[in-house]
Amino acid sequence: MTVYAGLAAAPGRASGKAYVIRNAEDIMTVPAGAILVLRILHPHLAPLLPRVAGLVVEEGAILQHATTLARECGIPAAVGIRDARRLFRDGELLEVDGYTGKVSRGTSIDP
Amino acid sequence: MLDEVKQVGNMVQAAARSAQPYRRHILGLPLQRSLFGQAARAATTIGLPGLASELDFPARLDENGDLFLDRSQITALTKALPSWFTPETLELMHTTHVAACDALVDASENAARVAASLSSAARKLSEDLANRMALVLAYGILSKFVPDVLMHALANAGDVEPRPFPEKSAGAELMQNTFALYQACCALNYTPQRLQREWPRVAPEVFHLVREFCNRQTGFGPLAWDAPGYEDPNYVVGLLHSAFTEVDAEQVRRRLSFAKRPAVSPSPAGVRTKIAALRRVLGFWLDFLERETWYVRRAFYVGMIPLLQQLAAGYRQKIPPFQLADLLFLDIRELAAGVADPAVIHARRQRYMENTEYLSLRGVDPGRLATMLGSP
Repeated sequence: MTVYAGLAAAPGRASGKAYVIRNAEDIMTVPAGAILVLRILHPHLAPLLPRVAGLVVEEGAILQHATTLARECGIPAAVGIRDARRLFRDGELLEVDGYTGKVSRGTSIDP
Repeated sequence: MLDEVKQVGNMVQAAARSAQPYRRHILGLPLQRSLFGQAARAATTIGLPGLASELDFPARLDENGDLFLDRSQITALTKALPSWFTPETLELMHTTHVAACDALVDASENAARVAASLSSAARKLSEDLANRMALVLAYGILSKFVPDVLMHALANAGDVEPRPFPEKSAGAELMQNTFALYQACCALNYTPQRLQREWPRVAPEVFHLVREFCNRQTGFGPLAWDAPGYEDPNYVVGLLHSAFTEVDAEQVRRRLSFAKRPAVSPSPAGVRTKIAALRRVLGFWLDFLERETWYVRRAFYVGMIPLLQQLAAGYRQKIPPFQLADLLFLDIRELAAGVADPAVIHARRQRYMENTEYLSLRGVDPGRLATMLGSP
């Protein structure tokens, strides 16, 4: 199991399949229950949040859009995971720990 | 000697880092890119230490629309700020920031109101609106590090209260409003799937609902004006489909009820302690973080487009095949001066259309420029 350390942005733990936002079209097909992996969570993406389980964000500032929105919706979030969009593939299992800012990839996902 | 070698090594590393773009392809349209040049100038009016000259501004855009940040300037600014913070300077910082945002909103609404009737003033109004956008853009760049400086200053001043996040963020409001639109469409028997399948040939009341929503939410969307956002019904219909297909409405409601957290006051005006002043400034900045793009995008769609429509009419008299979208390929100084060289516009437009990486990243299809300029 590989663990990536970022910053804890919104508390909670979640696991699910990664869905990586690489371009504008990708936001139109977000699977329910996904761990959303993206460069930055802009406010205009807020309506997608109720359907996702967790957030992994590349942008490193602790005070940013993702921090505010994820906390408001109670969605676990880790920020500052550098190159997350390159590191993770669509469909692979991820676990986000919003208390520690760690993201685990591998087989330790709770059923 | 060893220290010197280390220092040189660090400088080389810093130089190499600064040669790498912070973000690639963030803006493609020359008109919008040119606001960045104005932002550096506008930043000097904010009154922060370390921002006395345009050269102090820690960000620039190159002609590919790549954003570069100057880490050494950011370090200098973040070091200069904490010792400058006093209740008085923080109050000044707060009022200046609020005024810049309010002035942009006012200028946008004013331009929308008067553009059609005052064609002779369109050039001056567009220049004024661009200057106000540039100032808010400057705050947007500063928001990459100033809120963190404020947060650390608060901690160092002994503040133990939770951070002054907005009670309900702009994104949260948007989420609620989008869910309300989804429910209203469902009540008229238009599920997201049906809406997407039949749009725009839908029942008139549904068409009206979506258009009204778009008008109210114009401003939400990506920073790049040419990337589709909430002003575009097709975008909204697609987003409804993506957000609410195969999702449990009860789960959405739970998420929309928002995580419980203690109500945190950012501190009322008039409280003259340093902690109170820091909380007040940070509270506004946290709200601004959620609206910075909205301010500039809404200004373009609500205020600038009606002005461009007026200006295009004048250009057409001088250059008969002139198109409205050609104005997007001028920079703001050219627009203000009334200068337009068809060959230059053609070359810039061609370069823009050939940048397929940018167009794909931002979701710009071949008809997008015409569509966006036709949006209200």
